[in-house]
Amino acid sequence: MTRTRQWRDLVAIADLEPGDATPVSLGTRELAVYDTVDGVFVSFARCTHGAANLCDGYFDGRYIECPLHQGLFDARTGEAKAAPATRKLRMIEARVKDGIVQVLIS
Amino acid sequence: MAEDVLTPITQAMNEGALSRRELKRLMRRSNVPGLVHLAFWMLAMIGTGFLVWLSMGSWWIIPAMFVHGILMVHHFSLQHECVHYTAFRTRWLNEIIGNYCGIVIMLPNKFFRYEHCDHHTYTQLTGKDPELIELPIGLADYLRYISSFPYWKAKFSELGRHAAGRLSESERRFIPKEEHKAVFWEARAMAALYAAILLASAWADWWGAVWYWWLPVFMGEPVMRAIRMTEHVGRPNIRDMKENTRTNLVTTPMRLLCWNMNYHAEHHYASSVPFHALPKLHKKLEGYIFVENRGYLGAHIDIISQIIGRAPRSDS
Repeated sequence: MTRTRQWRDLVAIADLEPGDATPVSLGTRELAVYDTVDGVFVSFARCTHGAANLCDGYFDGRYIECPLHQGLFDARTGEAKAAPATRKLRMIEARVKDGIVQVLIS
Repeated sequence: MAEDVLTPITQAMNEGALSRRELKRLMRRSNVPGLVHLAFWMLAMIGTGFLVWLSMGSWWIIPAMFVHGILMVHHFSLQHECVHYTAFRTRWLNEIIGNYCGIVIMLPNKFFRYEHCDHHTYTQLTGKDPELIELPIGLADYLRYISSFPYWKAKFSELGRHAAGRLSESERRFIPKEEHKAVFWEARAMAALYAAILLASAWADWWGAVWYWWLPVFMGEPVMRAIRMTEHVGRPNIRDMKENTRTNLVTTPMRLLCWNMNYHAEHHYASSVPFHALPKLHKKLEGYIFVENRGYLGAHIDIISQIIGRAPRSDS
């Protein structure tokens, strides 16, 4: 049986850390919402290398640095940019509607 | 379990000593303070190097090389800041300067980064913290550590082992397997560079590297060992960063020399905060973390008191 994906409210824009990564839970999922120079993007929050929560790391508006080993990811595409990160982040399609960040998720 | 992964700000977040927003504000990076600091620090080193040059041919060269060496071994403080990527905002500047410092003091940068990450994750936990310095069992042991002989023995073995393509059991735990080869090649490049400098010195019959670099570093290292001891030695072997680390209040010149790393408890409490914001963090955490008001000397009085039995041992 396939579950259909639908847009779900995640967090109000007003509640985001401006220009930074905000940790948000959706059910049991831990997500990271990035307020980037190119708009809002959402990924699963754990680093694909050591599973640290990326929201605790340094964010410069484009790249999120893992707080544990300083692996680097592009927060807009999820691409791994510096070792020890090698696998890309799992991104979740997101949009902003009526001041709310929504994610397309099952 | 993902929940068990501690980050450098986990404890601060859990205890609520600082809000996420306050902490993120303190974590902001900049190139300016690092570059200004670097310029003055380099000038000071040129100055002490000039003292070595002036004293050539006289006995004054010994104190001159010692003073120059004290500055030289503080490349460690800058490299430490670079492995956290907090010395400068620009990531590649941290890489380049970190590698330069590593070459000066024979501490390969990538290897140190991974070792140091684990030191922050397992600070002071016996058997887990790869940088743990045990509380010496006696005064002879204390002096032996400060002499730096055990340190250099460990560093030369480490470089040889990595250049030969081998890792110890504990290194296998903290160096990601994706980076093993990079760590080996880093050690080989460093060993090759030293060999090339040695050969070039012999060929040119000019031994500047020995007089201005290697001998001062060996002479200054005991000072660095003594400073490194003040950070955790004599503090309890527990996970709590408020207890397991010591901040030392020192004079301004010493603070500049060590890139504010005397604020060590603050640094461990939230290690993503750059050196230039540590004095602010120190004010915010006043009364919350362990501070040695008497500075490095006070820390050594505490350590020696524990060694000779005048104070309870922190590891008992």
